Amino acid sequence: MNKLIENIVARPAQPGMVGDGFRVFNYIPRGGVNQRRISPFLMLDFNPTFDFGPSDHLRGVDVHPHKGFETVTIAYKGSVAHYDSSGNSGVIHPGDVQWMTAGRGILHKEFHEENFSKTGGPFEMVQLWVNLPKKDKEVAPHYQALTADDIGQAALANKGGIVRVIAGSTHGVSGPAKTYTPINLFDIRLNPAGVFQTSINAQHHTALLVISGNITVNDQSAAEHSFVLFQNEGEDITIKANEESIVLLLSGEPIEEPIVSYGPFVMNTEAEIREAIMDFNLGKFGYLE
Amino acid sequence: MQVFKDYLQQHSPITEEQFQLLRKELKVKTYPKGTMVLREGGTTQVFWFVCSGLLRAYTLDNQGKEHTLQFAPENWWIGDRNSIYFHESAVFNIDALEDTEVVLITKNFLEEAQTICPDFRKYNELLLHNNIRHMQCRINQLLAATAEERYLDFIQLYPNLTLRISQIMIASYLGITPESLSRVRKALAKKHSY
Repeated sequence: MNKLIENIVARPAQPGMVGDGFRVFNYIPRGGVNQRRISPFLMLDFNPTFDFGPSDHLRGVDVHPHKGFETVTIAYKGSVAHYDSSGNSGVIHPGDVQWMTAGRGILHKEFHEENFSKTGGPFEMVQLWVNLPKKDKEVAPHYQALTADDIGQAALANKGGIVRVIAGSTHGVSGPAKTYTPINLFDIRLNPAGVFQTSINAQHHTALLVISGNITVNDQSAAEHSFVLFQNEGEDITIKANEESIVLLLSGEPIEEPIVSYGPFVMNTEAEIREAIMDFNLGKFGYLE
Repeated sequence: MQVFKDYLQQHSPITEEQFQLLRKELKVKTYPKGTMVLREGGTTQVFWFVCSGLLRAYTLDNQGKEHTLQFAPENWWIGDRNSIYFHESAVFNIDALEDTEVVLITKNFLEEAQTICPDFRKYNELLLHNNIRHMQCRINQLLAATAEERYLDFIQLYPNLTLRISQIMIASYLGITPESLSRVRKALAKKHSY
C-alpha cells in the first residue's frame, strides 16, 4: 500500500542566519511538524544553493555546545571545516556526511573551509538533528566522518539516477552510518523522468525534502524546496522526477520518550536541562578556543 | 502581562481580585533587540519587569569600554533608582540584548498595591533588601574575589546567560578581561571535563 501523504509544505518565506555562514530555511520544528510528530528528528535546517562570495573572513558558527542528541551535516556544495573540544577536526566536502554524536556533551565550531571561503562559490548544506534515546544520552561524544566514497550507492532502473544510502538500507545497499535507533537517510539523485521506489516501515515517521528540481511523489506533485510529511499508514513510496532532481528522504522509528529541549541541549526532563547547562558552565564538556 | 501576574501571585500576597484593581497602573511594552531603553543622563519614572527577553544595565568609560552592572532576564526587575526616587539623571544605560517584553512598573503602582494590599509593603521591602544584599555581594566580589570565584557566582545567578550572551559581555560584568575569562573557563574544563 502506498504511504499516505499528510501534507506538503512549501519553503518558509524567510531564511534565517546561523552564525554568519549558514543561510537556512527551517523545516523542523515548524507548524504541525513538531518534535514529537517527527521523532526521532528534532531539527532540519536547509541552506539551498547560495554564494556568499569570496571572503578572507571565515564565515560560520563559533564555539557552541551540544548535548543529548546527534547532529548530521550533509554537504551538497561547498566545504565546511569543523573543530571540537575532544581535539577532533576535519573538513566536510560535497558528497560527505558528518554524523556527530554529542552524547554527554561536546563543544564545537564550524566554518567555511579556508580555500572555499577565499574563492567563494555555491554553498548547499542540510543540518539534521537526531534525538538519542534516554539510555544513550550520556555516551561519550564521537564522530562518524562519512566521506562520499564510504557512502554506498545503487543505480536506479532505466538510468533513472542513483540512490546514495547514508543510513538504513534500500535497493540492497546498507548505509555506513551507525545509528542508535532505526533510521533511513537516502540522498536520491534523479535524472529527468527517473523513478525511485522503496518501502519504509509504516511505524517510521517519514518525510522528504526536495533539495532541487521538481517531483511527483505517490501521485502528488512537490515543488523545489518543499517538504513532504507522510502519515504512518502504508509503506510504499514512488518518486518520479519531472526534471533533474535531488531528494533527501528521511525516516525513523519514533522514540517514545518526553522531549525537553533548551537551545543546544535536548533531554527528557527540565531538571536534566538545568544540569546540562551547569555541566556546560563548569567546563564538563571540555574547552575550545 | 500573564507572566507578571503569575510572578506576583507566586511571590507576593496580591490576590487575583487585587491584581484586577491594579491592572490599570500597568503597561506592557516590547523592545526589539538593540533598543536603547534608557540612556545615561536621561530620566525615567518606571521599573522594568522582564516577561521575556533580556535587558542589560551598563556604563561606558572614557575609553568607550562597557561595564555591565546588571543583566535582567525573565522574571527580573531592573531600574535606575537615582532617576525614579531622586529625580536625578539616570547613571547608566539600559538596552535590550534580545527582543524583550516588559511590564512597566510605576511608583504609583507600588503605592497603590500597598494601599489595596497592606502585606505588599513587606514584600516590597523584602525586594529592596534582596536588591541591597545582592549589591553588597557584588561589591565584595569586585573588590575581593578571584576571577574564578566571580565566574562561579555568575553561573549560579544567571545559569543560562552563558548560552545567550558573548564572552565579552560576561567579562564586562565580572570586571575582568575576556582573556582572563577564557583562562578561567579553560582551568575549569581541565578540572571538570569528562
